[in-house]
Amino acid sequence: MKLGIVHRTTYAYADAVSTSHHEGRLAPRDSDQQRTHSHEIVIGPIPTARRERFDFFGNRTLHFSIREPHRILEVVATSIVEINRGRAPDLAASPAWNEVRDRLRQDRRRDVLDAYAFTFEPPLAKPTAALVDWAARSFAPGRPLLEATRELTHRIHSEFTYDPESTDVTTPVAEVFRRRRGVCQDFAHLQIAAMHAMGLPARYVSGYLLTRPPPGRVKLIGADASHARVGTFVPDFGWVDFDPTNDILPSDEHVTIAHGRAFSDVTPLNGVILGGGKHEVRVAVDVDPLP
Amino acid sequence: MRASPSAVAEAGGAVPAYHPPQGVHDEMVAPDGTIRAHWAPFFGKLGALGAPEVVRRWEKARHLLHENGVSYNVYGDPRGMERPWNLSPVPVLVDPEEWRSLALGIEQRARLLDRLLGDLYGPQRSLTEEWLPPELVFAHPGFLRAAHGIRVPCGRWLPLYGVDLVRDPTGQWRALADRTQAPSGAGYALENRIVVARALPDLFRTCNVQRLSHFFRSLQESLAGLAPFNRDQPRVVLLTAGPYNATYFEQAYLAQYLGYTLTSGGDLTVRDDRVLLKTLSGLKPVDVILRRVNDDYCDPLALRPDSVLGVPGLVEAVRQGNVALANPLGSGLLQTAAILPYLPRIARHLLGEDLRLPSAETYWCGDAAALSTVLARFDRLVFKPTFAGGFTHPIFASNLSSEERANLRAQILAEPQAWVAQEHIPASTTPLLDGDRLVPRALVLRSYAVSAGEGYAVMPGGLSRVARSADNPEVSMQVGSGSKDTWVLSSAPVGSFSLLPPPSHPVELSRGGGDLPSRTADNLYWLGRYAERAEGIARLARVLTTRLQDAPMDPGTTGDSELEPLFRALAAQTETDVRESAAVEVGRTRLLAEERLLSALFDTEHAGSLVGVGRHVLRVARMVRDRISSDTWRVLTTFDDELRANAPQATWSETQGPNLGETGALLDRTVQALAAFSGLAMESMTRGHAWRFLDIGRRLERATTLVLLLRNAVVERVESEAPLLEAMLDIADSGMTYRRRYLANLHAAPVVDLLLCDESNPRSAIFQLAAMVSHIEALPNPAGPGLRSPQMRIALSILAELQLVEVESLVEADAAGTRTLLRDLLDRLALQVPALSESLSSGYLSHAIVSRHLGAAFDRRAVLGDRSERSEPGDSRSQGERNEA
Repeated sequence: MKLGIVHRTTYAYADAVSTSHHEGRLAPRDSDQQRTHSHEIVIGPIPTARRERFDFFGNRTLHFSIREPHRILEVVATSIVEINRGRAPDLAASPAWNEVRDRLRQDRRRDVLDAYAFTFEPPLAKPTAALVDWAARSFAPGRPLLEATRELTHRIHSEFTYDPESTDVTTPVAEVFRRRRGVCQDFAHLQIAAMHAMGLPARYVSGYLLTRPPPGRVKLIGADASHARVGTFVPDFGWVDFDPTNDILPSDEHVTIAHGRAFSDVTPLNGVILGGGKHEVRVAVDVDPLP
Repeated sequence: MRASPSAVAEAGGAVPAYHPPQGVHDEMVAPDGTIRAHWAPFFGKLGALGAPEVVRRWEKARHLLHENGVSYNVYGDPRGMERPWNLSPVPVLVDPEEWRSLALGIEQRARLLDRLLGDLYGPQRSLTEEWLPPELVFAHPGFLRAAHGIRVPCGRWLPLYGVDLVRDPTGQWRALADRTQAPSGAGYALENRIVVARALPDLFRTCNVQRLSHFFRSLQESLAGLAPFNRDQPRVVLLTAGPYNATYFEQAYLAQYLGYTLTSGGDLTVRDDRVLLKTLSGLKPVDVILRRVNDDYCDPLALRPDSVLGVPGLVEAVRQGNVALANPLGSGLLQTAAILPYLPRIARHLLGEDLRLPSAETYWCGDAAALSTVLARFDRLVFKPTFAGGFTHPIFASNLSSEERANLRAQILAEPQAWVAQEHIPASTTPLLDGDRLVPRALVLRSYAVSAGEGYAVMPGGLSRVARSADNPEVSMQVGSGSKDTWVLSSAPVGSFSLLPPPSHPVELSRGGGDLPSRTADNLYWLGRYAERAEGIARLARVLTTRLQDAPMDPGTTGDSELEPLFRALAAQTETDVRESAAVEVGRTRLLAEERLLSALFDTEHAGSLVGVGRHVLRVARMVRDRISSDTWRVLTTFDDELRANAPQATWSETQGPNLGETGALLDRTVQALAAFSGLAMESMTRGHAWRFLDIGRRLERATTLVLLLRNAVVERVESEAPLLEAMLDIADSGMTYRRRYLANLHAAPVVDLLLCDESNPRSAIFQLAAMVSHIEALPNPAGPGLRSPQMRIALSILAELQLVEVESLVEADAAGTRTLLRDLLDRLALQVPALSESLSSGYLSHAIVSRHLGAAFDRRAVLGDRSERSEPGDSRSQGERNEA
């Protein structure tokens, strides 16, 4: 499937900002399953310096700074990607989760070692005893890793309520777990913490999801959003993603932007400013199928 | 040569027996009770000097330490800010042969950790080849993903290295902990050396002590060698975590000694991936940063978003190779004792050498075999968290109750990777002078190495720290341990050496004073203002004190009319409530007047009181510690001590009520100290921007004070003006001039002329303005050459107004007794002088603004995906404290 994405971020400042530095992760990642046809980022005002590089996790990262006094910053990322995930992996055929756990602790081959680095707590996600118990229910000894993870994904979907009012980006996982509410970002952090509690690798995957309007309605401009999901690692196979918010495995309608340990590694746009006073930020995302 | 303690006691007659505990190594006394050979010359000389003499000299040395403001901040202690540095006179002596082999071990260890950092931030062979458990890297909060793959200048990951050493009972030195991020203490070691060598000069000479200056020279060379540009004369700055950091004194001291600009994050900015220092004369490129800010605080953009200590964009500048950071970002990774057990193996692989300097026997509980050993030997071990976020006290299992022990055991079993255990090493003891006795105390030595060519230069000596008491095994400045100088002896006489380059080295003549960061200029400006404010208050209060003492005991009689306007002026200067001071004129009781006076001076709750302003003087001075000569600093500490120590007596005496006699004497001393401060600034600071801003602050404040005084005292004409006018002259220190010119005839016009318009009187308002005009002329002109800056325009307009004043008509009063022209002039000045201050701040000092993190833009449908409300600028105090000690 071919998708067109427009991700527009607008900062409005009460006072002029004299200098600002920003870091953005807005470019799609290329992989076997996703190919970028085109990608560009337009910034206003025009930055005095901009440079792109790959970060530690292999995400395309844009650095830019603006030295012209400004009250509005607009960053528009426009991309066209083609996604072809092929056949979904056979979940039941994956190795037992406890074997995977033990192998990661022993195996020092590069890809396994890199995956092992994803078994440690990110800053927001220290598991509580209650969370550990809760996670363990899906992981009976000997159960295939992907099957167990699929069930965990399903349990998050069925036991938690999607509620944008209940949390913000700083809400700790323990709090999300206690309230049983949150948004995709919280569910991703929660699942990562649960997998870590089992000694398993898990990573945060940011991107987008194609949404369709209710039957008979027109899709609203800017109504889409960034979307978060989770990946885990199967030795000799690779990373497999799960979407706990929608209780599915990613389809050709899931766009991948960045990988990291947690949201803080893949923030779409952040910055440090001089001046500015109070500010407001608006984000609008459109994902549309292309012929 | 060997001498028994008793022989020494005979020689000196005053050093009583010294009994080191059984089962540990003693630095001075061998197991057979004889003095070790390398201590003998020292001890002989010490004995000859005699304990009373040593104690007497040491009192002087302590005084010197205090006056130099050597201090250490202890966290979580209400008295923590600026705790006096604890140094004791008897140094630790190290035998030259023994040091040679220890130094080789330190040098090798530095090379090893340097290579290891390079490997972990690069190919990670140590992990793939199983030399080091990957958990110790991946789970380490100090493993900076942003630093992975960065190319460091000269391939050096560890330009500066520190190591804590203890000597075990067999006499073997062992490394207890490695400091790889921003090793602190080298500056204290230097200060200790200077103080001890000054207190015991004859001993220092006799003992052939190796000098420390070579080490600091190597440090300068090594840092200069890292510069990507301007290799000949690189600009090196010391990035401090600020005055709340434990070792701020040392940071300022080192900056001064090494000739680096002391900067905080706000003094630096990044443009086009270059780090620039914001100075009064514009932005200056920085080539090397010696940092005392922790890894994750260095850049709020790429690292910790809440950091207020860092420089946004620094990581990118480093990545582009445009600035060198010492130590490089991410070097905190090796600051965990958990790696110690693996170092011998890593040394064989990375260096092809056997590890010379063994570590304390250490177990990382994440290793199953190590854990079972730990559980078996539990009670004899010392426990530390694997990844300590800041200062933590080691836990001595032997000190725990059985319940606490069980708890710790359970914690470790629940999360073994999070714990490290070490065998408790009964540290060697060294003599500490306690009263006039020598007592043995446990010793931890921190020494340093700096990269030099292919290898490292090791500081011959270091910072010795000794336990506070015989039964407390923990040694750390944070728990009140004492420090000592460390004398590494030489078998041959030692020549003297200075940090200044040798004469053969051609030196370009320079008249500049180095860079002046805008923030520093701001602080100097405020230092000038506060010092002058304090002086103004003290002068006014002194006159009030004398007048009150002379006034008749009978309340409500004459004499009060003269005091009332002065009380109003005092209220204005100290920003105390005017209504409160009005009570003086209503109540008119002498006691009340005295109480008002004393509270304006000594109310510690009120920021505007003399004591409050004095505190500001010290606070601001501390922030520009590196710009203040030690003489000047001594004057300021004396001023502060006087005020603090004597304020209570001056305030109240049990029997007599308010104690004006004491108060007057204290005010005299205060005025003298502040005069000494201005005199030193006048005579010892070069006429650079730093001096100008200090002086601008002083002039501006003096003009403000004069306007306040005249406005309150002279505008409303009173019945018999002479006593008031005389008081005015006394306050403005212009009485002598007046009497010489006009003899004893006191009239308003000549007094106003002298205080307002006489350009030859250094206390007049016009003199202050003229001085400011010449300062502003010398500052960089933001308006461009040939144009008048806004600051200049304001200053000139005030000056012109004062020059054109016609004094006779100014003092004419209307029917109600009001001098309206004078009032209007003073009211205009009361607006224009602050406007000048504003304009100077916005024109020159505005760089002091702090940048903010925007927070992440993350859309959450209806919710504003923004955390602006939570991203308040962090607290520089707590962040300063959380940085490495």
